Amino acid sequence: MADSAVKIKKSRHRFNKNIYGYIFTAPFIIGFLLFSLYPLLYTFYLSITDMTMMKKSYEIVGLDNFTKLFSDKFFIQALKNTWKIWLLNFIPQIGIAMLLAVWFTSQRLKIKLVGFWRTIYYLPNLLMPATIAILFFNLFSLYGPVNQFTVRAGILNEAIDFFRSNGWTQSILIFVQWWMWFGATLIILMAGMTSISATYYEAAMVDGANAWQMFRKITLPLLKPVLVYTLVTSLVGGMQMFDIPYMLTDGRGSPNGSIMTLNVLMYMKFSSNKGHIGAAASVGVMIFIITCTASLLVFKVLQERRDANPKKVIKRTVREGKHELCS
Amino acid sequence: MKKTIALVLACLMLVGLITGCTKTTPAQSSEVESNTNSSTEEKNFSGTLKLWSFTDEVKTMVLAFEEQYPDVKVEYTMIPMTNGEFQTKLKSALQTGEVPDVVSLEAAFVREYIESDFLADVSDLLPLAKELGTYQFTIDIATYEGQTKAFSYQATPGAMFYRRSLAKEYFGTDDPAAIQELVSDMTKFEAAAKTIKEKSNGNTYMLCSTGDFANLFFANRQTPWVVDDKLVIDPKIDQLFETAKSFRQNGYEAQATQWQEGWFAGMNDSLVDAKGNPKKVFSYLLPTWGLPYVLMPNGAPKVVKAENTGKDSTVGIDTTGDWACINGPMPYQWGGTWIGAMKDSKNLELAKEFIKFSTLNADTLKKWALGVYTNEYLKKINPSVGDTLAQGAGDFVSSQKVVEEIVSEFDNAATSKFLAGQNSYKGFAAAAPTISLKLIQASDDAIQRSLNDPLSNYAAGKASKQEAIQQFKDAVKNALPDIIVE
Repeated sequence: MADSAVKIKKSRHRFNKNIYGYIFTAPFIIGFLLFSLYPLLYTFYLSITDMTMMKKSYEIVGLDNFTKLFSDKFFIQALKNTWKIWLLNFIPQIGIAMLLAVWFTSQRLKIKLVGFWRTIYYLPNLLMPATIAILFFNLFSLYGPVNQFTVRAGILNEAIDFFRSNGWTQSILIFVQWWMWFGATLIILMAGMTSISATYYEAAMVDGANAWQMFRKITLPLLKPVLVYTLVTSLVGGMQMFDIPYMLTDGRGSPNGSIMTLNVLMYMKFSSNKGHIGAAASVGVMIFIITCTASLLVFKVLQERRDANPKKVIKRTVREGKHELCS
Repeated sequence: MKKTIALVLACLMLVGLITGCTKTTPAQSSEVESNTNSSTEEKNFSGTLKLWSFTDEVKTMVLAFEEQYPDVKVEYTMIPMTNGEFQTKLKSALQTGEVPDVVSLEAAFVREYIESDFLADVSDLLPLAKELGTYQFTIDIATYEGQTKAFSYQATPGAMFYRRSLAKEYFGTDDPAAIQELVSDMTKFEAAAKTIKEKSNGNTYMLCSTGDFANLFFANRQTPWVVDDKLVIDPKIDQLFETAKSFRQNGYEAQATQWQEGWFAGMNDSLVDAKGNPKKVFSYLLPTWGLPYVLMPNGAPKVVKAENTGKDSTVGIDTTGDWACINGPMPYQWGGTWIGAMKDSKNLELAKEFIKFSTLNADTLKKWALGVYTNEYLKKINPSVGDTLAQGAGDFVSSQKVVEEIVSEFDNAATSKFLAGQNSYKGFAAAAPTISLKLIQASDDAIQRSLNDPLSNYAAGKASKQEAIQQFKDAVKNALPDIIVE
C-alpha cells in the first residue's frame, strides 16, 4: 500500500517535470512544424500537381512532373553540374583550409597575426553574394579589366570571352565558391584543432614524431567529428548552391547551362512565364532526396567505422592473445 | 515558487511566439478600414493607391497624378526586372492576395497577365482611346477574349540610329534617305557592314552586338511561336541564325552584349579592345525610347572618378549632333510599358482613374512627350524626389492625335539637336500605324530567351545548325513544361 503510494507520487513528480520540458520545447516544435515540416510536405504535394502562379485552379497529375524532369536534358545536366561544381570547390577548399589551419595552430611555427590573417580569409564570406557575382562578371567581361590587363601585359594574345565559354564560366564559379568559403572552413577547422589537448603533441614530440606523423596520427583522428560536420554542411550548401551561379550570368545558367545548378533550375521553372510551381516543386523534391541520401550516406560510413574500430581492436587483441597461448 | 516562475516564463515564450505570428492582423484590418473609407468617397478620389513598377519612369506619372489629385497618395514601389525580379515578386503576390492596385507591365510579359484572370477589365475606357486615336497595336496586345485589360502611354516602333561622321567617311554621304537606301533590307545591310569593315580596316563595326537585330527577325515572322501548343520555328529564325553567324565570323559586330558596358561604350566612342585599340560602332538598332533613354544619356562623355587623386577624368566624346535616324532594314517594335489595374484591388475606381490619367489623357501625354515634367517641376510637387528623376522630351506617345499635334514641336527639341536637326518624331509617326502585333503570345519572352545561347553558339561556330536548333528545343522544353516540342 505504502509502496504504491510512493510510486504514484514519483510518477506524478516525473509527469510534472515532463510538462515543463514540453512547454519549453514547444516554441521550437511549433516553429518547426509550421515553418519547416509543413512547407516540406506541401512541396511534396505541389510536386504532383500542375499548379502555376497565373491560374487559380490546378489538377493533380501524379508523377508527370518527374517523368518530364527525367526526360529533360537540363535536369541531368544541372545534376551533374551541381556535383561537379561542389566537388571541385570543396576539395581545394578543405585542403587549403586544413593546411592553413595546421600552420596557424602549430606550436612550432608560431605564426604571427593569426587573427589578422583569419579575418582576411574570412572577409569574402561577409560580402553579399550578389555583389561578388557582379564584381566577377565585370572583371571577366569581354571589355573588362582582366582581358585588358592580360592582353596588354602580353599574357594572352587575344581577349577571351569568358562568359561565352563553358569551361571558363564554370572555373570562375568554382573559384568564387572556393574563395568565399575556404575562410569559413578555416575557422571551423582551427576551432577543432585548438580544442585538441596540447599534451598529445608534447608526448608525440618527446617520442620524436615529425609534423606529418603528428597530423596523421593525432590531428586527423581527433578532428573527425569536425570534418564530418564540415563535409555535411558543405554538401547541403553545395546541393543548394544558387546565388552566385544565378547572378553571375543571365540567371539561366548561361552559357549553355554550364553553371545551371539544381536550385537555379528550380528557380527557372518557378520564374518561367506562367510560374510553374508544380514543376519547380518536383526539382525541389529531387534536391531533398539527393541531399538526404548523400548526408545519410556520409553519416553511415563514418559511424560504422566508429563502431567497428573498437571491436576490431578487441578481436585483434583476442586473436593475438590466442596466438600467444598457442605458441 | 520556482515552478510558478518557470511556468510563467514558459507561457510567456509561447505567447511571444503566437503574437509574433499574428502581429500583422490588427494593422491589416485598419488598412482595410481606411481603404473602405476611401472607396466610399471614390468620386472625390482620395485614398492610397499602391503601384508597382520596374523603372522610375512611371514615378514621374505618379507625381503628376498626385499634383492633379492632391488627396490621393500613391505608394510607389520600384522592383527591377533585369533577371525577372519584378515578375517573380508580382507572381508571388498574386498567390498571397497582397497585390498592388496598379501595375506596370513590360512588353516582354504583359501578354501573360492579359491572358490571366488577375487584371481588371478596363474595356469601358475604350471610347476614350478611340477619341485619342490610340495606336491599335497597343490595344491589341492588351486585349484577350474581348476584354481590354491595360493601356500604354507609349508606342514603340523601332528604328536604326547611325553615326553621321562615319557614314560620310565610308559611304560619302550622311543623308538619311541615301543611307536608308543602302540598308533597306538585310542583304544590303550585310553588304554595308562589309563596306564599313573593309574601309575602316576592321576598326568600325556595323553593330555592337548580334543581339541588336534579333528583334527585327522576331517581328517579321509569319507564324507565332506556338501553334496548337506546339513549338513552331519560323523560316525567319533560320535567317537570324545565318545573319548572326555572318556578322560574328566576318567581324561586323563588336561582340559586346546588349545592356552591358561595352555596348554603352560604343555610343560615346570609348570602346577600346583588349589591346588598347579604339573601336567605333556605326549604328544601333533601337526603338523610340532608345533615343531619349539610351542613346542620348550614353552618347555623352562619362565622368570617371579617380580615387585618391581627387581629379575626375572623362572617357569618350560628345556625339551629340552626329547621329541620324532611319527606318532600318525591317520594320519592328520593341518594348513598351502598359498600365493595368488588379482585379482584387480595393481601390479599383481610383486605379482606373490612374490608367485614364497616365495613358488616355491628351494633356498628360503632351506634357510627357514634350518634357514638361522636369526635375524642378517634380520637385515642386514632392521635394523628396531627388535630383535625377525627370522625364526628358522625346518619348513617343500612344495617341495618334497627340502625336500629330506635337510632331512639329520636335523640330528644335533636344532629340532633334542630337540628330543634327532631324525630327525623329516624324519618322516614328509614319511608322507607328503600320505596326502589327498579332503574333505576340504570352510565351514569347521565355522562348526568345531560350534562343540566346544556341544562337551565340552557332554564330561562334561552336555548334552546327542542327545542334543549335536541338539546343534551342531542349531549352524551350525546360523553360516551358506545357509546350510540346518535337
